Amino acid sequence: MSRLRDQLHLPLDGELKSPMEGDAKPFEVFIQLVRGKPHVHAGTVDAVDPEMALQFAREHYGQDQACVHIWVVPRSAMLGTDYDHDVIWRSTDRSYKLARGYQVHNRWLEFRSKKDVKEYEKEDLKEHY
Amino acid sequence: MDRISEDLKQPLVELILSIADDKFILGHRNSDWTGLAPILEEDIAFSSLSQDEISHATVLYQMAAGLVETTADKLAYGRKPEEYRCAQIVELSHDFDWAFSVCRDFFCDHFDYLRLSRLARSSYTPLAQVAARLVPEEEIHVHHIDTLMKRLGSGTKESHDRMQNALERLAPVASGLVEPTKGSELLEKQDIYPVTNPSMFEAWSKKIRQVADAANLKLSLRPMRPDEIGGRRGRHSSEFAALLDELTEVYRLEPEAAW
Repeated sequence: MSRLRDQLHLPLDGELKSPMEGDAKPFEVFIQLVRGKPHVHAGTVDAVDPEMALQFAREHYGQDQACVHIWVVPRSAMLGTDYDHDVIWRSTDRSYKLARGYQVHNRWLEFRSKKDVKEYEKEDLKEHY
Repeated sequence: MDRISEDLKQPLVELILSIADDKFILGHRNSDWTGLAPILEEDIAFSSLSQDEISHATVLYQMAAGLVETTADKLAYGRKPEEYRCAQIVELSHDFDWAFSVCRDFFCDHFDYLRLSRLARSSYTPLAQVAARLVPEEEIHVHHIDTLMKRLGSGTKESHDRMQNALERLAPVASGLVEPTKGSELLEKQDIYPVTNPSMFEAWSKKIRQVADAANLKLSLRPMRPDEIGGRRGRHSSEFAALLDELTEVYRLEPEAAW
């Protein structure tokens, strides 16, 4: 960065002629950190078309962590529920749908302690490394 | 091959420095836009791409430093203006004209992409490996700048006119990018800098003209005359000395300081 920046006249609030919005539209950005794993919503960018949105997304959301793939979706293409009016989770008791209450920890430890599991892992590692 | 003969060292350093200096000065110029680019998204993208230029320059300075037993910092900050090998186009002040900066990147990124692709086929393995790593990153720059060119060239009348104007201002100096470095014919003979067919100028001007056409912009380029001397042989623009003076002022306070 140079001292050229000091000489730049920045427009004050009242002097800005261009509209705040312009023709940019919001795009939602989804990034994938490892191939085969799910894409995770990273944030949004404003852009005039999908190609620009993808360019921006690569630099915005693809540089602060190693990232292998990016999707951008125009927000207008997404349909969502309404916080106030759409009920998603029922009010009646559906707790049986929650994956809770299974006592597997001890059984898992017991399973892991068996000799043949270790043998299997050894073989498995040999194949992969 | 992994080693090069003594007589080829200096020509190779000249070539590597020409790329590193282009990227170093261009990255510096473009970093001026951080916080000031026309839209927030582009601000962040442009800054990130400027950082790429500086990090590419670092890798190349390190390589050149290894060949002549000096350090990357000394090469980047410790030379006299006439010892720099950048083309004049990267030195020019943008005066915060966005069209100027975009068009300059357009000329430079396309040329860098061709130059690095060429080096990725070098018979000197260490250079070929570095270049092969940088090519896909340079491709990102090319995609980015082409998208901007098309968007702004065929946007509103104002954006089109600004871009056309900037292209016309830059076109006469742009060919200086293609000026051969001293001794490059020796490197070509040894396939260290493999010869291309068509020539670099033809390949480069053809590619950028295609993009300019698609962007609804007119572009006319002429190759440098053989008797013209530019940045590759140390003749720089009138603004370069001042630019370098500012860029190196912290380094010059204590050149041997460890950072």
